[in-house]
Amino acid sequence: MDAFRDIIGVVSVFVLPAMIIGIPLYGLIKRVPVYESFVEGGKEGFGLAVRIIPYLVAILFAIGMFRASGAMEWLAGALGPILAFIGMPPEVLPMAIVRPLTGSGSVAIVADLANQYGETSLITRMASTMFGSTETTFYVIAVYFGAAGVSKTRHALPAGLIADVAAMLFAVWICLLFFG
Amino acid sequence: MLNYIWAGLIIISLVFALASDLTDVATDPYRNGQALPVTLEFDRPYDPQAPKQPVRLVIDSLAFQALYGVEGAPQPSYDATLRQSSDAAEIVLADAEAELPAPLDVIRDATNPRDNILQGTLRDVRVRQGDSLATATAGLTFAPVRFVKVAAITAAAIEFADIAVTIALGLVGVLVLFLGLSQIAEDAGIIQALVKLVRPVLGPLFPEIPKDHPAMGMIALNLAANVFGLGNAATPFGIKAMEELQTLNPEPETATDSMVMLLALNTASVQLIPPITLIAILGVETNNVYFPILFTTMGSLAVAVLAAKGLGRLRRYRETNPLRSAATDSEVA
Repeated sequence: MDAFRDIIGVVSVFVLPAMIIGIPLYGLIKRVPVYESFVEGGKEGFGLAVRIIPYLVAILFAIGMFRASGAMEWLAGALGPILAFIGMPPEVLPMAIVRPLTGSGSVAIVADLANQYGETSLITRMASTMFGSTETTFYVIAVYFGAAGVSKTRHALPAGLIADVAAMLFAVWICLLFFG
Repeated sequence: MLNYIWAGLIIISLVFALASDLTDVATDPYRNGQALPVTLEFDRPYDPQAPKQPVRLVIDSLAFQALYGVEGAPQPSYDATLRQSSDAAEIVLADAEAELPAPLDVIRDATNPRDNILQGTLRDVRVRQGDSLATATAGLTFAPVRFVKVAAITAAAIEFADIAVTIALGLVGVLVLFLGLSQIAEDAGIIQALVKLVRPVLGPLFPEIPKDHPAMGMIALNLAANVFGLGNAATPFGIKAMEELQTLNPEPETATDSMVMLLALNTASVQLIPPITLIAILGVETNNVYFPILFTTMGSLAVAVLAAKGLGRLRRYRETNPLRSAATDSEVA
């Protein structure tokens, strides 16, 4: 298992340079006007970033208000009995709630837990597993659908949230199995 | 769904903020208008004429706890400035970073949000002049603190609107870089080759994408970048994939099943490399959570695929599918 991890580690270092150098190089061999192609493709980058803005503002300001209102602390208290049932320490719950909402917020939670309970505690490990195994669902939806100009997202959010809940449960059980 | 959750976040914020503030009105945790007994210590003789002079503000722990009904205690003393005029005396803390016990920290943030320094008015100042230094006792009152949470959610809304723009504009550089690279890849035929390569694996997940369509290649690049923890590269490829999927979409405002699947795969985010931010926090300890993360992310990926497929079969989502007529047409044919 350690060898697997080492190989992945080495490969991952070279993926990005391989893309950045390899693609133009291969284009050159195929006699593509690489510089012109690059500039042509890159042109829409700025427009895309600007197009995302209204979607991202809409999502982030609502999440910002929710965080500032103190509703999260209340939710953490209300969910206490369910946590005990699935075996999740209550300290980890803010992570499970915040993770789909904000990336920076969940980084702050991991850092805080590591600081308070130590890096090797079950609590920190569980929160780290949750952090590492999921994405900021709302952010991904805002950016990807924003860039495409899609506002009717159909079942994207429910599917993403179901996957998030599953990830939180898996993280609890796997960490209990590994470290419990 | 997004409409309800989005509106829900805003409404819940307001309800909780109001509830919290009305509780404050009832219990008055900031003791608005009541004086906190304090002692001022001067390093030199007290000068009644000086508009500004440095002092040390000493708050007695017992008096503090009795007034606010809390268990925290202030520091032994705070460096501050005494400002006086003919009819009023004010004290301003020198250090914005000074550790303040609750609820003084909230009072500071609420009464002086601009520069975050605690300041208050002194009443009944009684000076005892010594030979070389002087002390004084006084009652310290702060500007009334009301509706803290309502003010906080408004401030947060504006702050996060700013953050959103910063994030979006921060994407410009990597977007241009990887969109440029993917254009070369397309012109050189790399994308088309990639489409053929990943078709057997990804085809069943994206049945709507026609054979040899570049969307599949962009999806493959997006997923590959995710797997190797290259978040910077994953986003531009994902956006490009969405644009390619949009060319197949007869209703540009509505997501197709393929788009939802791409989103689900991205939010579940299988990654063989832990995020850099996690390594930054945990250091070597990241190694111990490597396999838990890997197993969790694989499990959630499976759930994401099942959820995207399963929910797509529900009637309400089938009816809103932009490609619904195309699907029935092909069945008839």
